Amino acid sequence: MRGPHPSEPPQPPDPRAVFALAAYLSLFAVFTQTLWLMGALLILAASSAILLHVDLARVFKKLKRLWQVVFTVALLQSVFSPSGEVWFSAGPVVLLSSGGVAKGLIVLGRLAILILGGSLFATYGTRELIQGMIQLRLPYEIAYMVSVGIRFVPLMGEELRDSLTALALRGVVIKELKLRQRLKVYTYLLLPTVAGSLHNARALAMSMEMRGFGAFPQRTSYFTFSFSRRDYLLLAATATLTLLTGAVMIRGGVT
Amino acid sequence: MADKRAAVSLIDVRYAYPGSGAFSLDVPQLSFAAGVCTAVCGHNGSGKTTLGKLAAGLLRPSQGSVLLEDEDIAEWPLGRIGKQVGYLFQEPTRQIFAPTVLEEITFPLTLNGMEEEQAQELARTMLARFEMEPLADATTFMLSRGEKQRLAIAAILVNRPSFLVLDEPTTGLDARRKGILGRMINTLAEQGVGILLISHDAVFVRRYAGVTYRMAEGRML
Repeated sequence: MRGPHPSEPPQPPDPRAVFALAAYLSLFAVFTQTLWLMGALLILAASSAILLHVDLARVFKKLKRLWQVVFTVALLQSVFSPSGEVWFSAGPVVLLSSGGVAKGLIVLGRLAILILGGSLFATYGTRELIQGMIQLRLPYEIAYMVSVGIRFVPLMGEELRDSLTALALRGVVIKELKLRQRLKVYTYLLLPTVAGSLHNARALAMSMEMRGFGAFPQRTSYFTFSFSRRDYLLLAATATLTLLTGAVMIRGGVT
Repeated sequence: MADKRAAVSLIDVRYAYPGSGAFSLDVPQLSFAAGVCTAVCGHNGSGKTTLGKLAAGLLRPSQGSVLLEDEDIAEWPLGRIGKQVGYLFQEPTRQIFAPTVLEEITFPLTLNGMEEEQAQELARTMLARFEMEPLADATTFMLSRGEKQRLAIAAILVNRPSFLVLDEPTTGLDARRKGILGRMINTLAEQGVGILLISHDAVFVRRYAGVTYRMAEGRML
């Protein structure tokens, strides 16, 4: 049972309630094509992250390169799907149009909501996320693998950076290579990263089995979650929003 | 081997890992002479690997400068440093890229313009020196740790570095292979290559290092 000491800072909501909120945000972000609805979802996602004390500045900083890709995709979407009022063109080629910009903004909003939805779990520890998934009836092995997978993502990034460094120290300057050679080098980079991941996965699996992982068909947990009034309110709000958004999309033909 | 003479010098170098606040390394003046194997010993966390990475340009100093052949390498891209400096990582898996042993040695050579046949001949010579010729067509992923270590060293040496950083090179090597590596270090030193040997292997250091320094808490003792 989770019970914060009065002197402790307020506990975040039950992760199961946050799973529901993140699922709502992601689902409608993927399906909606309307700018105002996407904007509303974006505001809701950002507000939820702030209320959950997610360090948004850190998330933005960590995903700096990803944001560059997101902005590029949005810009390309804007340029290559012109419609509506033409704002700027070079001869017959429309570069900026009202419809194109709206589509670009929708792409930008969609990706931002998905990232913010993921960031809602940033304040939870691995154990809490696993417990949340177990109490959602997900088998422990699957829940544990998901959490391990999440933990391995930054490690793989680190290994890739190390491999790039090691490659440069072999006197290979990627910028100076021809395209064909560059592609070959990229395939070389995959080997140490994949090999490292397999090695780590094998070592982790052996270590876990040596410590009795999966020895018994059922596990008991001293640490469990139970819904508080606040969690029920969050679930009810999410359910209401789901129904409202769904109704708006169906009635207005908004997809 | 080329007879390029090189030395690396650290001048008033201080280094702090990002976010740590405090300096992890503080070295007022230190030179690694060409043609000498210089060993650096010390307890875990004493700053040996940080020193090696700074000397090889993998880390850039927070303060001070690192000179390679009397030139400040602060603005050098890593690829340029890599043409003169070789670095053996503690974990060799991270620096093995190609699917086969032979290709692991040849691919940087061919990428830099060497003919395939010449690269293969050079690679086979290098593999023979490390008793790895029978493994030329073996899959790198299936090698033992010791074999990976030897392959990583061979792949570095084929580039003919003028300065070499070996971070725990004897890990995973048996006594005979340690002997081969030691003799290789002697030969390279005689040919003018500067070597920084980071090791906990006191016997190996005593036998093959010309100069030995000790480190503690990021400082030279």
